[in-house]
Formats: sequence, C-alpha cells, structure tokens
Amino acid sequence: MFRTDEIIKASKLPPEGVAMSRKIDYIYFIPILFVTIVGTFHMHTALLCGDWDFWLDWKDRQWWPIVTPVTLITFCAAIQYYNWVNYRQPFGATLCILALGAGKWIAVYTSWWWWSNYPPNFVMPATAIPGALVLDITLLLTRNWTLTAVIGAWMFAALFYPSNWPIFAYSHTPLVVDGALLSWADYMGFMYVRTGTPEYIRMIEVGSLRTFGGHSTMISAFFSAFASSLTYILWWQFGKFFCTSYFYITDDRQRTTKVYDVFAYATLGPQADKAKLSGGKA
Amino acid sequence: MTAKHVFKLWMIRLCGVVTLAATPALDITPAFAHGERSQEPFLRMRTVNWYDTEWVGKSTKVNDVTELKGKFHLSEDWPRAVVKPTRTFINIGSPSSVFVRLSSKVNGTPMFVSGPMEIGRDYEYVVKLKARLPGHHHIHPMFAVKEAGPIAGPGGWMDITGRYEDFTNPIKTLTNETFDSETMGSMTGIGWHIWWIALGIFWVGYFAIRPMYLIRARVLAAYGDEILLDPIDRKVGVAVLVLTLVVVVVGYMAAEAKHPISVPLQAGEAKIKPMPIKPNPLTVDVIHAEYDVPGRALRMTLHATNNGTQPVTIGEFTTAGIRFTNKFGASRVDPNYPAELVASAGLTMDNEAPIQPGQTVDIKVESKDVLWEVQRLVDILHDPDQRFAGLFLSWTDSGERLINPVWAPVLPVFTRLGA
Repeated sequence: MFRTDEIIKASKLPPEGVAMSRKIDYIYFIPILFVTIVGTFHMHTALLCGDWDFWLDWKDRQWWPIVTPVTLITFCAAIQYYNWVNYRQPFGATLCILALGAGKWIAVYTSWWWWSNYPPNFVMPATAIPGALVLDITLLLTRNWTLTAVIGAWMFAALFYPSNWPIFAYSHTPLVVDGALLSWADYMGFMYVRTGTPEYIRMIEVGSLRTFGGHSTMISAFFSAFASSLTYILWWQFGKFFCTSYFYITDDRQRTTKVYDVFAYATLGPQADKAKLSGGKA
Repeated sequence: MTAKHVFKLWMIRLCGVVTLAATPALDITPAFAHGERSQEPFLRMRTVNWYDTEWVGKSTKVNDVTELKGKFHLSEDWPRAVVKPTRTFINIGSPSSVFVRLSSKVNGTPMFVSGPMEIGRDYEYVVKLKARLPGHHHIHPMFAVKEAGPIAGPGGWMDITGRYEDFTNPIKTLTNETFDSETMGSMTGIGWHIWWIALGIFWVGYFAIRPMYLIRARVLAAYGDEILLDPIDRKVGVAVLVLTLVVVVVGYMAAEAKHPISVPLQAGEAKIKPMPIKPNPLTVDVIHAEYDVPGRALRMTLHATNNGTQPVTIGEFTTAGIRFTNKFGASRVDPNYPAELVASAGLTMDNEAPIQPGQTVDIKVESKDVLWEVQRLVDILHDPDQRFAGLFLSWTDSGERLINPVWAPVLPVFTRLGA
C-alpha cells in the first residue's frame, strides 16, 4: 500500500540501520519532540492568549477568534517547517495542536479542577485541531509554503470559531438575574469567584471591529485570517532560521565561504586541517 | 577531585536530603489568608474605608445561601499613586470558589459588570453566596480598581459543612432550560475534544507507522522528494480534509439548531449611584498626627465641632478594616466581627467627655495596639507619601451613629525620647 520498501531501499541503510532508525523515531518522537512541544507551546499559549483559552466568560465574538488562532499558528508554522523541509512529513501543525491539547487537559484537571476547584466546563479549552489538519493537508497537497500561508493559514483562522461553536454555543444562552440580561458564560464568570481577576479584566468586543454592521464574528475571522497568514510567514522563517546549520570556512587564499551542508566538513579531507573555521551555527 | 572536594560535595547532598526528609515533620500549617497584609498600607488606609462588614451565617451547609455585606467609604485622601476609581468591581477574596456568587448588589443596583464610583462617597454592598466547598475559609470583600488592582477588605472566617458531592446549582435560562453550573456543557465539550483528538492522532499516526525521520532525511538529501511523496498520502489527505470540513459545517449547524437563541457576552458598565449624603452635625479635622514607632500608636489631634442639638461621643477609629475602640465604642462592635481585627481598648482620648452641642474642642487621640505591627500598617513610614486616612465613628445621645472621614500627613516618632 505504501512506498515504504522503496524508501527504505533508497536510504541504502542495512537492516540493522533501518531497525535502529525506527527505535530512534520512537525515542525522539514521543519523549523528546512531543513533550518539548507540550511544555513550550503550552507556556507560549498561556502567556499570549491564556485568559481567552482558560475562561468561559472570555470567549467573545471579537477578540477570542482573533487572538487565539494568531497565537496558535506560530509553533504550527515553525514545526511544519522542521517536519516538511527536513523529512517531507505533513503533520507538524497537527502534532503541535495535539501536544498543546495534552498540556491543556493536564492543566484543566490538575491546575483548575484538582488545585483550584473550578469545574471543567468553566475552563474548557478551545480546539484548533480542525484548522491544524487543514493547514497540514494544504501543505501536503500544494507542496508550497507560500500557498499554505495564503490558503491554509486563512482556513486555520476561519475554521476556529465554527469548529468551536458546538462546544460553546450553549454558553451564549441568555438568562436574567436580578433584572439584568446575561449570557450563561457571563454568569459562570460571575458565579465562580476569581479573586485576582475582576470583571473589568475581560476584553469583550472592545474596539471598532464591532461597529461594522454588527457582524463581529465574520469581521474578526477575516482579520484573524489575515493576521494568521502574516504570522505563519514570520514563524516559518523562524523555523528556517533555527533549523538551518552552516559554517564559515576560510581557505589558504583567505577567501571566506558560508557552507550550509555541515556534513561537508567531513569531506574536506586534508583541506580541513588547513582551513580555518570562522564561526557558524549548529 | 580531591578527597576534601568529595567530602564537601557529599555533605551538601546530605544536607539537601535531610532538609527534604525533615520537611513533612515540621509544623507546617496551610496558608489561609490572601496576603492582604502585604498590600501597602497606603492602599488599605487611603482608598477604601470599610465599615459594617458582616459575614452572615458564619457556618453554612453545602447548598445553603448566605451573604457577605457591608459598607465602604471611598477616601477623599485617595493616593496620587493609585488610579482613580473610574472602573471598579466589588469582588470576593476567597481561596478559590468555595462559594458561588449568586448576586451582588451595590446600593441596590446589580453589579455583574464593572463601573465607576465616586471618591468621597459611601456605598453599601450585599453579595449573595451559595456554599460549595466544605472547609474553614477566610473570606474578604474586595474592591478592585482597574489599573490599580484588587484592594482587600477585612477578612473573616466562614465555615462550610457537608459534602461537595451534594452541591448542585441549577439555574433557569430565558429559553426555559435548566443548566447546572457544575456540569452544563462538560460532556458535550469533552466529546467534541475526544473526536478531534482522535482524528488528529489518526493523521499523525498515519505517518508515524512508517519510517519517520532518519530514513526520510537520507532519501530526501540523496534523491529529492519524489519518492517520499506517496500518492496514497494525497488521497488520504483529501479524504481527511473533506471529513474535517463536513464535520465542522455539520457540527456548527447542529449547534445552531440546538441553541437557536443566543446573546453575545454582556460587558457594559454598571451605573451605581452613591448613597445619599447624610447630614452630619459633627465636623472632625486632624490638625496633627504622628506615629510612635516604639509605642505602636497613631496619635492625632482632632479639631471637632458639634453643630447638632445633641451631645456626641466618639467611640471608634477604623482604618484598613482594623477597629480601634474605647469602652464606649467597644460596646457597639458587632460581636461577630473578627476579634483579631479589633483593638477593643486601643482608642484613648485626653477628653472622653461627649462633645456638647455648639462646642468646639481639640482632642488628643491615641490609637494604640500591636495591630499596627501585626497588620503591617506601620509600613506607612516607608512610603514616599506618608499619610493616613480612616473613619471616626461617634454616637449621639439618641443612638444615631455619625461617620467622619479623616485624613492627614503622619510624622514619624522613632524614639521614646522624641515622643
């Protein structure tokens, strides 16, 4: 079904090398790559869009669908670069969001429920997996990161609100308390006391986006898609910077050359002894 | 490495292990309070002057409804360093949501969202609380000011008995549904997350079942990507793409059908009128104030005039939720007020006699107690703006209570000799 045999043959590795490479896959993939993304990406998200993701009463129509996708697409782009450019593996974004989800669900049950006693529905995280799948598949089908930035990143942001609506639609149900109209989410935020988070900390449809004909969500999604596209480009370049190794070599005639193929140093042979290495990045 | 170095290294390790091992054996008590004493005294004394704070029903069962209520005066001596209270919120300081807050009214107006309040005016709040988590909890009223932060009021203990498992909080919505705040939406959310996580794991797993990294890197470097891009991957990709989009659209439409009536999150501004200004026949000004560091006493000289028709007796000075009373005032303190915040013989005056109608007097007052130290109010002497504010409470012969806000600079007295 797959081209696996053909690929293994082309790698020219002996059977024991192939077996070893699979062991390295397992060791590297789960304990190192996945767990590293859990830690770093979860912290990154908590710092940049934490309140929007933690609290039910922060998930408004304007800022939540802007801030969250723009924050989430960052690591997705960088890890996509790493996985695609080095291995042609189209699962970087999904892997990132799965890792983030692992971190979030650990936090929901340890930090929020076990430690702070907030019910899980009050701190229910959003999902970005549908957007991440579309982002990965766009890269796979187009084989082009620019098109992915234009189509995939836009879809990543645009899908965020509709894919989360089934999870959070109930929280916009209206109710009246003491004569005041509230959404269920507002009342949850009011009922479950957060000593250090007074109501005014929330950013609920603040700004001029809501003034465009009342279509806050559509306009926010559009703006979010545009911003996500730019963020994707920037973070793809971050991925490139951090995944690129090179060194400088100065030859007998004092000519300095930047060499990207770090394995090439081993092929310099006798020249390597004479050549003067002058900096680089592993 | 010499033997000496090895010895030192092992001694350090041994100390670490002993410290860790001894930790559970030490008398460690949980932290019950919220760091209110760490708030700078200028914040606690010169912003919100709390009074009549009442923790109704100090022991409640899970599901019982109780109240935290009281009044506060926003000090005229509001510090320059603190943003003015143009956006404020009455909050509860509690160790997590041990109560759920059912409603909060300030001067009779619901305060679900924040709003401005006026300096120099008084407000009365009533917060209705439903007991949720059993335990012995320290509960504060809090006054949160945007860009200044939460300012803790006095803390009192409230006990909740029973079992958390019995807690329910059903609430009727405008659509005639009943939502329980503890569970509503949890299973739906978890179900959707499980579905998307399963699809995500399938997508990554689809590639993980084949050689993932080293082999592909070698092939890519040697031959480019033609071999690596398996045609079946594209077919599976298209299938997953279509499935994802279909599920998103169907899920959205299903949610719309299930919850056809919705409102956006509400975040307006609470418009709260302050309490009417009550005529007060007594005027009180502080013409001199000093803090005696070794004596733990704030000494004030008051210039008071009674413009009323009845004699007035001063009984209490309160600041930062701490109450200094003389014998007259002590008899009027709510016995449920936390004893650790009351200096019942902490207020002395050189002239305890009532101020007669039409009389103007200068009275030397001393509020003295270890509470100045314990509550860390003495830190006022480390401020760049050494001032204090508080309330004097006095009573007419007919029992009417008069409240006079006071404020003044404080001069430090560092030695007994200088006192």
